[in-house]
Amino acid sequence: MTPIQAMEDNQSGGIRRMVAANAEIAILVLLIVLFSILNPTTFLTVANFNTILNTAAVPTIIGVGATFVVLMGRIDLSVEGTMGAAGLAYVLLSPNSRTSADWGFGAIVVAIALGAGLGLATALLHTRLKVPSFIVSLGMWYVGLGIAAVLFGQEMQPFLSDPDAPLWPTSAPLGVSNSFLVALGVVALGFLVERFTRLGRVPYAIGNNEGVALLTGIPVARYCIYVYAIAGACSALAGVIASMSLGAGAANVGVGMVFFILAAIVIGGTPLSGGKGGVLRTLIGVLVLSTIYNGLILSGVAPSLQSGVSGLVLVCAAIAAGWSLRDHLRVVK
Amino acid sequence: MSAAAGQNAPGRKSAADRPPVLELTGVTKSFGPLVAVDNLSLTIRPNEVVGLLGENGAGKSTLLKILTGVHRPDKGTIAVNGKAVSLRSPQDANAVGVGIVHQEQSLFTNLSVAENIVMGLSKQGPRSTRFGLYRWGQVNSDAAAILKRIGSQIDPRTKMSDLSFAHRQMVEIGRTIEIARETTRALNASEDEHGTPLVILDEPTSVLERDETEILEREIRKLKEIGSVIFVSHRLEEVLRICDRLVVMRHGRLVADRPVGNITEDELFELMIGHGARSKTPASAKTSAPAKAVLTVDHLSRRYAFHDVSFTVFQSRVTAIVGTVGSGREDVCRAIFGAEAFDSGAITVDGAPVRGWSVRKAIAAGIGYLPAERGVESVVGGLSAARNLTLTYPDKSRVGAWLSPAIRNRLANLWFERLDVRPRDIGLELERFSGGNQQKVVLSKWLIAGDLKVLILDHPLRGLDPGASEAVNELIREACRGGTAVLLLADTLEEALDLGDEILVMRDGYVTARFDMARENPTSLDLLEKMV
Repeated sequence: MTPIQAMEDNQSGGIRRMVAANAEIAILVLLIVLFSILNPTTFLTVANFNTILNTAAVPTIIGVGATFVVLMGRIDLSVEGTMGAAGLAYVLLSPNSRTSADWGFGAIVVAIALGAGLGLATALLHTRLKVPSFIVSLGMWYVGLGIAAVLFGQEMQPFLSDPDAPLWPTSAPLGVSNSFLVALGVVALGFLVERFTRLGRVPYAIGNNEGVALLTGIPVARYCIYVYAIAGACSALAGVIASMSLGAGAANVGVGMVFFILAAIVIGGTPLSGGKGGVLRTLIGVLVLSTIYNGLILSGVAPSLQSGVSGLVLVCAAIAAGWSLRDHLRVVK
Repeated sequence: MSAAAGQNAPGRKSAADRPPVLELTGVTKSFGPLVAVDNLSLTIRPNEVVGLLGENGAGKSTLLKILTGVHRPDKGTIAVNGKAVSLRSPQDANAVGVGIVHQEQSLFTNLSVAENIVMGLSKQGPRSTRFGLYRWGQVNSDAAAILKRIGSQIDPRTKMSDLSFAHRQMVEIGRTIEIARETTRALNASEDEHGTPLVILDEPTSVLERDETEILEREIRKLKEIGSVIFVSHRLEEVLRICDRLVVMRHGRLVADRPVGNITEDELFELMIGHGARSKTPASAKTSAPAKAVLTVDHLSRRYAFHDVSFTVFQSRVTAIVGTVGSGREDVCRAIFGAEAFDSGAITVDGAPVRGWSVRKAIAAGIGYLPAERGVESVVGGLSAARNLTLTYPDKSRVGAWLSPAIRNRLANLWFERLDVRPRDIGLELERFSGGNQQKVVLSKWLIAGDLKVLILDHPLRGLDPGASEAVNELIREACRGGTAVLLLADTLEEALDLGDEILVMRDGYVTARFDMARENPTSLDLLEKMV
């Protein structure tokens, strides 16, 4: 009368399973070891690790929101547009070279609300009009860039007047840069939501089988809206921090972020088909990619080769992450 | 229709003072030219178990979807507990006290057992969350209590995908009972103290083993004390045992509404089919003549699944494997089809040992496989029936490099006619067909090969009505006569005894007995003895 557990006896395969389930961490460790051997003096230093974490901060913040979207089997391509619009809104409402506004912390709140609003719009178009999330969010990417362009206007680029503002994200009074601390806070919050709230569990259910979710009486559309609004808010916060670092407002503040984020999510172990994975895995995925970029620069890979090499390393990391799951009947898309 | 209305009238008189739990009046639903439910009226009284019967395609599924808010009727009214309701979604149905266990499992395989139970509840228990955060300890122990009530020992923390089909079914039943209880509590708490919940069980027993069916029956009797039940099943003897009243649907209409006391299995069968008496299953063409060995399995083993399994399947013969859940017989079949790996041993097809086995190679070698989980593994729901039919052997409808729609449609029409698939619409997406008709299509997907060497059938009759079962059985015999060797995992022991030329019994991954039906005549008790 023992309780029925997994059908397979998992005692002997325990260690193998554990390694297999955490291939992303193994890859991260492997990369760190590899780059440490290649660049013993430059890579393995506290300062360099802070650099890596600093690069990882913005994508991590976006990644938390985007992970919930991907868990539902959907996609959010609007990241860069949202970052641009929210970043400019923040700059124009803070002391800057163009407007006389000084909303203080309110500027950040407005920027985040703008991001959440864009996410909400994406989700409403997607759920109400049944347009695929890929297309809607692709469109919202450019709508966000359009808003940013209007805010940017025809005049000179708006600069933050406070000379300390650009220093805040990278300064590290607590040993780790402020921006990465914010990212960690967002990850912690995301993890809490993921593991302990209905809002966090429902995306897994939707990603696993949306038809069943509907028949079970789960209000799928409503959760979809919540999740996109959260993702928009995360992108907006990332846009604020990126603009702060830049010390100026720019529509293209998030350029290149969409593919970085999606690659990080997938390498972390959240498949685009949804249903499994999570925010901690995305954090690892972001760290893997940040380490690759940092390590390649330190290893002296010629700038002309960097893009190609990082692409190859990315593919290898993805192969390694999915290696344990190979099974000839497994469906991969 | 008038007959149905007439039979409802006396029923209403004898009802208790409470309003009927469910009252359907003139409900009609069509899909294009197909009228799925035709002017149907039905009353369910409080604390009553009503059996809903009908052939596959009679409109039962559509009716249930109307009751659970998935489809909205074109015409007619629905009243629940005396109040007219408009059900727009499953949530609406739950809110007025109507819950359902679906025929196809509606569980999330990536979540734990406890989470699946929580996901199904519209409101979370006050104890399961604190400040909006789940208290997993509480959720798990509540789930364990729910499962214990139906006699199940499943650990609520187990991931759903790690459970067998039958165990998952127990979770599904536990969850539905909990939804029913929750609904009752909610109705009783509100001012409407007459509210009675209605639980719909859509073929809950079709995948259950005997003792699990008994647990379900016990639970249905308990449910009856707090609510009403609509019970859909194809096992006539079970329906007669469990239900108080039976309603029969045919071609979207209600053709009978009777208390169980004055109806027999044969009468029911006739009402469902609409003609002639039930033909007794003819004895299969069992021969003892020497036959050619087509497939030999030699000391096949896989850790944790099956051990040292050896047997031979002969041309034109049926080899049946019986065993309980967890006996490993499904895994053996999947290994033979190349869908799962094996550690040691050998498979020989037509005298040639296989190497680097895969599904593609198995198909090329002339092996066909009908999986048990139709919805997940054999039906491509969004494709038309004709396309499903020609999926495995595209060459059958190929002209040079092109697939010919004309040949495909001719083939599909031919097989639709032969198998009496309804509706006769080869262009309709396969997911729109009823379960039985889907099964006919996916079975013929293999049969169009014409020269299939081995056909592996995993629960071919699961969820099929008696008429469709006979049709599918006849197909199997026909394929057999044509020279195909059949490896059968039967739903019931009787089915195995009826069709099998040889019967293997498996227990915990080992073959515990084998019976050559030409020389021996075992009873189901003999088989059972070796199974447990």
